[in-house]
Parts: sequence; structure tokens; C-alpha cells
Amino acid sequence: MRPVLFALLIAGTPLAAQNVSREEGLAAWERIYAVASHPRCTNCHVGAQEEPMWEGLSYGRGTAHGIGVKADESRIGAESMPCRTCHVTAAGRETPAHAPAQIDDAWRLPPVELDWLGESSAALCAQLRDPERNDGHEITDLVDHLTSSPFVAWGFAPGGGRSTPPGSPVEMARDVALWGGAGAPCK
Amino acid sequence: MGRVRTIARRSFLVGSAAILGGVAFGTYLYKREVENPLEADLAPGAATFNPFVKIDGEAVTLITPRADVGQGAYSIQAHLIAEELDVDLDSVRIEPGPPSPAYYNGVVAAECMPIAATSDSFMARTGRGASDVVGKLIGLQLTGGSSTVPDMYERLRVAGAVARETLIAAAAKQTGLPASELRTEQGAVLLPDETRLAYTDLAAVAAEITPVDEVTLRDPPDWRHLGKPHMRTDMMAKSTGTQTYGIDMTMDGMVFATTRTNPALGGGIVGFDASEAEAMRGIKAVLPISGGIAVVADNTWRAFQAAQAVACDWVPTPYIGETEKQFEEVAGSFTEDRQDSRFKDEGDVLAALDAAEDVLEAEYRIPYLAHAPLEPMSAMVKLAEDRLDIWTGTQIPRFMQMSAAEIAGLDKEQVHIHVLVSGGSFGRRLEDDYVRQAVEIAVQMPDTPIKMVWSREEDMTHDFPRPLAIARARGAVSDGAVQAFDLSIAAPSVTASSLARLGQPAIGPDVAIVAGAWDQPFQIPNYRVTGYRVPPMVPVSSWRSVGASGNGFLHESFMDELCHAAGVDPLEERLRLCWHDSSRKVLEAVGEMSDWGSDPGPGRGRGIAFTLAFGVPTAQVCEVTQTEDGIRIDKVYVAAEVGRVLDPVNFEAQLAGGVIWGLGHAMNCEITYEGGVAQQDNYHAYEGLRLHQTPQIEVRGLENGDQIRGIGEPGVPPAAPALGNAIFAATGTRIRALPFSRQVDFA
Amino acid sequence: MNLTVNGKQHEVDVEDDMPLLWVLRDELGITGPKYGCGIAQCGACTVHVDGIAVRSCQLAAADVDGEITTIEGLGTPDALHAVQAAWVEHQVAQCGYCQSGQIMQAASFLDLNPEPTDDQIDAAMSGNLCRCGTYPRIRAAVKTAASRLQGV
Repeated sequence: MRPVLFALLIAGTPLAAQNVSREEGLAAWERIYAVASHPRCTNCHVGAQEEPMWEGLSYGRGTAHGIGVKADESRIGAESMPCRTCHVTAAGRETPAHAPAQIDDAWRLPPVELDWLGESSAALCAQLRDPERNDGHEITDLVDHLTSSPFVAWGFAPGGGRSTPPGSPVEMARDVALWGGAGAPCK
Repeated sequence: MGRVRTIARRSFLVGSAAILGGVAFGTYLYKREVENPLEADLAPGAATFNPFVKIDGEAVTLITPRADVGQGAYSIQAHLIAEELDVDLDSVRIEPGPPSPAYYNGVVAAECMPIAATSDSFMARTGRGASDVVGKLIGLQLTGGSSTVPDMYERLRVAGAVARETLIAAAAKQTGLPASELRTEQGAVLLPDETRLAYTDLAAVAAEITPVDEVTLRDPPDWRHLGKPHMRTDMMAKSTGTQTYGIDMTMDGMVFATTRTNPALGGGIVGFDASEAEAMRGIKAVLPISGGIAVVADNTWRAFQAAQAVACDWVPTPYIGETEKQFEEVAGSFTEDRQDSRFKDEGDVLAALDAAEDVLEAEYRIPYLAHAPLEPMSAMVKLAEDRLDIWTGTQIPRFMQMSAAEIAGLDKEQVHIHVLVSGGSFGRRLEDDYVRQAVEIAVQMPDTPIKMVWSREEDMTHDFPRPLAIARARGAVSDGAVQAFDLSIAAPSVTASSLARLGQPAIGPDVAIVAGAWDQPFQIPNYRVTGYRVPPMVPVSSWRSVGASGNGFLHESFMDELCHAAGVDPLEERLRLCWHDSSRKVLEAVGEMSDWGSDPGPGRGRGIAFTLAFGVPTAQVCEVTQTEDGIRIDKVYVAAEVGRVLDPVNFEAQLAGGVIWGLGHAMNCEITYEGGVAQQDNYHAYEGLRLHQTPQIEVRGLENGDQIRGIGEPGVPPAAPALGNAIFAATGTRIRALPFSRQVDFA
Repeated sequence: MNLTVNGKQHEVDVEDDMPLLWVLRDELGITGPKYGCGIAQCGACTVHVDGIAVRSCQLAAADVDGEITTIEGLGTPDALHAVQAAWVEHQVAQCGYCQSGQIMQAASFLDLNPEPTDDQIDAAMSGNLCRCGTYPRIRAAVKTAASRLQGV
């Protein structure tokens, strides 16, 4: 199943069915990091920090999510104000800037160990290829996540004038597949 | 022992000016009795004794003409009447009453006069008397300036007493017993044998007799309501979603409307294309109104959507449209020809500064600020052939009546204003622009009840903000004391801008430019406060505590700087300089409450500030901690002197609310303009204070003064400087421009 | 579409994307939930969907997937919810316009977290803006309501 998925994902690229070189894997990683370190991702991948961020929303640099929200241990604000109080589960509702984002999934923060905010390329690379530290994801699971998660889909097309990371979910998935195909190299 | 006062009915009706002896001002007006508007619709068998009490077979109705915008005005007015009338508030009706000259405000005009609250001179007393005359002359029915309690304290108690004594007289007439053997209790006259004659049952008899014209007010020690904790009359409705605000009115056959006017203030519109909007679901009409368009629909949200779909051809703003240029205009206004006032000029400031070894100079800036009450501007209107009904929250029902009449082509008597509770105001409902729009719609859609509601964005981009200002301060210290204090403030005139919209002239200097700065009770050897009037830019208006809202920051920040320069304790130096006894007492109170002088601990700092505004000396101590996440405001201690605290529960709420208002805007808020368009159009960009940043607030009310005062606004002015001074104490950084968040983070 | 509000079923004919707030206020005449900002910045429109606090200005009519409770359904002057009773006791309201939302937020919060810490109270209630500055009493009333609900 998984090799098939890899093959499908890489299909159509010049690298199809080839062994991916370390160099190509590292180049893919650079593109992955450009996305993963983008505020659209790091706003929620905040690690143990209780407050999500509002980078890239015209609130200025280093701005934490407004209105004093805390993700709490539950990471969904269940102990104080649930994320879904404002991030109401809904499909295909583009909200204006400064209104809460709406996606077809229960709004929540990623697991604490997937801490990307302010992390270096090397640290993130080491984290993502290690299932012990990335919430039990094999590389193929990551590819899966990128192609199926409403969070990721929204992150690349948030609407309302919100900033976006480079590329698309499909390109990102291909890059992760390439990186995985190269043995998930880190510099 | 309290004093017993006998007050003639005539004096009561003409207000306290007669008692003050201001007869130099238009004696003839005093002779004319003010009409009682309650007589107009009086049912047979119902009695009204004055404009504030009406009784029929069903109920006792108290008229509380000052608007309740959240400050508890209805409750306190009702308690003032009830104290003398002997009724329980849960068994009476409380109504705001119609627009009427009888409900003129006799004290608020004094806020526009250069009379120090601390002055008891003949001129000051005459000026205050003139305020009453002016108020009565123009029938100034206005809520504002923290004036409800000072204006109504005597009038409403007398109204209650007149009604009570007349009911006793009615009972005497009905029973044949002498009035001296009757007493009153809980809405009834009690006979010697304890038989209860309910007021409602006495109404018909009372209506037949001439109201008693001499009454004696109760001494404060005998009060049953006043001075004690009250349950505000609106708590149940406001805790159960059953309070009806203007935005909640419903009527059979009503339509929903919204408006969209040029976001570039004052720009107007030359044309619009509504074809797309008109095709949208539920849209009944797209109509032209002054400066923009109105959309009438079957649902507010549909109206909002369609309003955005109208292509409008706007005209650029006629005003200076960029905030940077607006500040340049202010900065260029410290000139002789723009000098507006110099009400304070003691000693010889220039000589003292010349002689000083070091002159401390500082420039401060404060921004435009929006009112942004949580209920957006809204009104329900219905125009019939010969009558216009308006349901809305307002602080100026008579002005509104006149402007609505003019737009509708009716006599003002044909315009019926039904005042509703407002979801906040902070001065915003001293304007009637929103009702003018609703009436413009009604004129084009007669016989249809129209509920007009603004979007939040429309509300915030069409406010009349608190003006921006720049202050230039110079001072000198020596021998551990402040020797010279020279403060120059340049700002646009709120008074001229507001009064022009009300069709009233503004004569002379604008006290608001220097209010809360020129009139502070400090005896500095060389002390000068000068106001400079910036030519009109975007229209501005009164914002909770008006001129003092920013001037407290300007005066008290510089005072703190001078104290530090002199190497003296900022509280000790203020106490040394302060000659006004009840002001000293509020300073001493916050000193004691905060344990001023004790070590605040590492990374922590305390700041103190004092402002005398609306006659209320108010002192605050703010305690902050510098944390990894920024400045955390831990605690604010506030003490204020109001002469007499009529309701300690609401007193605390208003004073703490004022502190929160002052802090939140100083920390987080500004309105800036680009092309005349306000750049902050919703709360994401204009947060005020939220709960997680709210400090603990400890409140103390002092009762040493001889004048009773209102407490809706005085908590605001010292909040910002106390915070700024605390930040300086904790970090060594002096912040001279608001909002603070431009220069520090808050935890 | 069908909506259940305060235990009563309603049939409404509105666009899928009309916010629930405007369905409640303008279609059903339920005016306890207030309009303040339209972008979930103020919380005045807060209602419950299956007991969880939701900003009704953000929930599109077609996305409602549970039973709606508004302030009118939480309790009435004759039968107050414990949170409302605490609000009256502490005299929280000033203008009162935000308080429907504050109370709905607090009621849902205490249902999920019956024994909150002070920090959790702050985090739970900071999404509800109050321009009058009633926050100190909101804190106190939430604590009172929490102990009442715990039977203390």
C-alpha cells in the first residue's frame, strides 16, 4: 500500500519510479521547511505553549492569538473556552479576515510534541522523521495527512486575505514523498 | 444634625438657580412655570403632581428623564423619588418620560464654563446659576457630564415629597382626619388605626386638589433607600435576555434596514448602482440618504450583504485625511493666533523657567478614540401622515425631536420619541445622526415600521471620536520641589464640533481643551496651563470624561516626571502641593490602600495619578509587574470624593468601570485615518480591555465634600497616567504617547 | 430547514449561509442573543448548541447540527439558572448588552469545567467583550455560580 502511494505521488515527476537521491531529498526538505515554518502552520504548531499565534494576520509580529484563549491540556480549550466556540465546524465557509477560520473538522491544536514555532530546519527535520517524536507518524502517514487534512487544505487556501505558505497540499505531499523516498535526509 | 429645608414649589419648579440667587440672568423666565408634560395624556381619575410622578388607579409611575446608558441612571433617579414618596421600586412603573423642557439639565452647561469645581467664589456661584438658566432657557434635556445625580438630587426628592404630601392631603380630605395624623409607607397612606389607603386608590381625589407647595425633605440619617446598597431595577431583565434595547424592538409589519455612507468622513456620494443589490434575496429597496445609501430588506443580514453589493461613487473627504498629517496640524497649532485659553497662570512661569538650571521638556500625544458601544447604532421609526414615532436609545431626546421633525416636515409636537435603554453609549448617543438616517428612510417609506441597524463596521467608521491632542510641557524643579509647571495643550474643539451639530452656538474658549488640567488643586509657585484650538478636522464629540479623558494623562504624566526629576516621592509631592482638603483626602486614601512607600518587590512598580474632573477628586494607584510576556497590571486602587455615595454597589461598578475604560483604551486603542477613513473598523483592531488583562480593582468612596457629584466619568482620567507612571517605576521607560501597546507588550 | 430552539421546533426558509444569529433574531424574533461585531470578537451572540457555547454569528444556518439554547431558554426571571442568579446577586450588568453572551458562555464553561481555576475563568470569559467594564463582577459571579452548581 505505502510504496504504491509513494509511487502515485511521485508519478508524473521526472523522478518517477527512480531512487531519489539524498540531494533531491534535501532540496525537497527545504521546500517542506519553507511551508512548515510558515506562520500559517506555526500559528497552531506551537508546542507546549498554551496560546496559538496570530502571525500573518496583520496584528504585527509575534502576536499571540487574541481574546486571551488557552488551548489547555486538552488542546481544544475544553477546560476554558473550546476552540469550537468560534471555530465552528463547517465545510467550505470562507470567512473574512479577522473572523475565525471555519473548516470541516473540529478545530484543535496539533499534539504538543509537534512543536514547530521558532524551530530550526535541522530540529524540525529530526522531529518529523522520528515517529517517537512526531505523534507516531511514518513518512507515509505524513503524506496521508497532507492530502486528507482539512487543516492543511485550509492552510494553503485560508481566504480572507490571510497569508499563505508556498505551494499547495499536493506539492507538499510530493515533496514529503520525495524526501521520504530519499530516506528522509537531514543536513 | 442635618439641615431641614423648606422648599417652595415654585423654587422647585424653576430649579436651584432661584435659590442660588442668579436673578441677574433673565428674571422673567423664572416667573413662567414650566409645563408638566404628564398633564397632556392624563386619564380621568389619574393625578400628576409634577413632571416626575403620575398616579392612576392602576399604578404609581415615576419618571426618570435622564437616559440609562448602563450607568444605572434609571435606578438612582427612581430611588431619589422613592425616598420621599415612600414606594417600593418593585411595585411601581419607571418610565423615561417624553421629550420636554421640564426635564432640562440645570448643571451640565457649567462643564463648559471655566469654573473650577473647587471655587466657591461669587463668580463661580453665579456661573453655576447661569448653567441652570441656560439649561432651562433652551430646555436642555441632556444626559451627560456625570450630571444626573447633582442635577436631580434635590429636584427628584422634592418631586417625591410633593407627591407624598399631596397624597396625604387627599387622604385627609377623603377621611376627614387631620393630615398631621397621617403617615405614608410602601405606597399607601396609613391612618392612625393602621388602615392602609393605597396611593392608587387616592389618585382620583388627589387629582382634584392643588398639589402641596411646601415640603420638608428627610434628613440623610432617616433615609431608607439612599446611601444603602440597592438592587438596580434592571438586573433581572439584563440577566435573562429580556431587556429590550432599540435594536430589539419588533412591530407588526416591520422591515429591516441598514445604511452605508461614505467611509471617508464627510465625503458624500455622487451616485450609486444598486442593480446587483436589488436582485438579492429579500431586498425591498435601495434608497438614497445623505452621504450614502440605505437598504431595506426582510432581514438585517440580507440588508448588510446587499449594502456591500451597492456600487457607490464616493467623494473624497474634505478633511485632513491622514493621521500623520492630522498630528502635523495639531503640532502646528501652538501659535498665538490659535491660543484658546489660559485659565491658569500663577506666578511667573517664563521667569522661573529662564532662571532654572535645567528645564525639563516633554511632548505627549494622545490619539483619536471611538466610543464603540456594544449595541451598534440602531433605531425603530414609523412615519404616519401626521405623526412620527421613534424608538431608540438617546441622551438628547429634544434635539432629536427637532431634527427628526425637520427631516419629516412635521411640527416637533408631532414627533414622539420613545427612549429605550442603550447598550452602552460613552457619549455616542449625544449624537442623533443615526436617527436622522432612519427618518430619511421613513420619509421614503411611510406607514412602515422600519428597524434600522448599523453593521459594526459602519458604526466604527462613522463615529465622532474623542479628539487627538499634543501637549508640550516644560517644568523646573529645585530643592526637591516642583517649582514651575507649564503645560500647553493643542486639540480640536469638542464643544464647537458637537454644538454645531445640535444647531447651538459655541462662544468663547473651549474649556474641554484643558479640562482636567487647568483646574487641578495644586499650588505650584509658577503654574500655567494654555489651550490651543486646532482648526476643525474630522468631527469630534464627547467621549466618557470628555476633555479630562486625555488631559489627565498629559498633566499627571508630566507631574510624575517633575517629581522624579526633583527626587521626591510623587505622592508626597502632590500632597505637599495640594491645597484642597477633599482632594488631599483621596490622595491619602489611595496611599493607605496601596501601602504606598512599601517595597513593591522585584520587577514591580507603582504609579500614582490624580484628576479632579466633574467636581470629583479621584486618585488612583496602579501596580504592575514586568513579566516575560510583558507588563501585567496587577492591581488598581481608586478613591473618589462625591460628597455622598447614594448607592455603594453602583458607585463601585461605575468607578471600577471607569478605571477599566481608561486602562483599556490607553493600553490598546487608537483610531487612525487614511483618506479620511477610520482604519479600525471592528473590535479586532480596537479591543479595549478584556477580562484576562483586567487587574483587581479596589474602590473607596469618600464623603467629605459639601457637593453631591456623579461618578460615571471621574474614574477614567487618572487610569492612563497611573499606568504610565507605574510602567516607568517598574521599567524606567517613560511612555509619552498613547496607546501604550505601541511601545510595550501587555501580559 | 428545521431548527430546535429552546425545545421548540421551527421551520425556517433561509440561505444556507445566513448566520444563526440572524435566523434567531430576525426570522424567529428571539432577541436575547445580541449582534455586536459579526466576527466572533465580542461574544454577545453566544448561544448553546447541544450545551456548548457557540458564537451564533459564526454558525451558518445549514451547519447547525444540534439543539439550540438561547438565554431565554437557559432560565427565566421566575426560574433562573444558577449562573443568572449569580449575575443578579452580584449585580454584574451595567448596560447589559453583552450579558446574555457572558451568561451563556459562563453556563457552558461551568458545565464542562465545574471546578475551574482563576486562570481558567479568565481564559473562558476573555472572548466576551464588555465595554462598560463589568469584568471584576463577572469573575465573582462565575465563582459564585460554580459553588452553587457544586451544591456548596
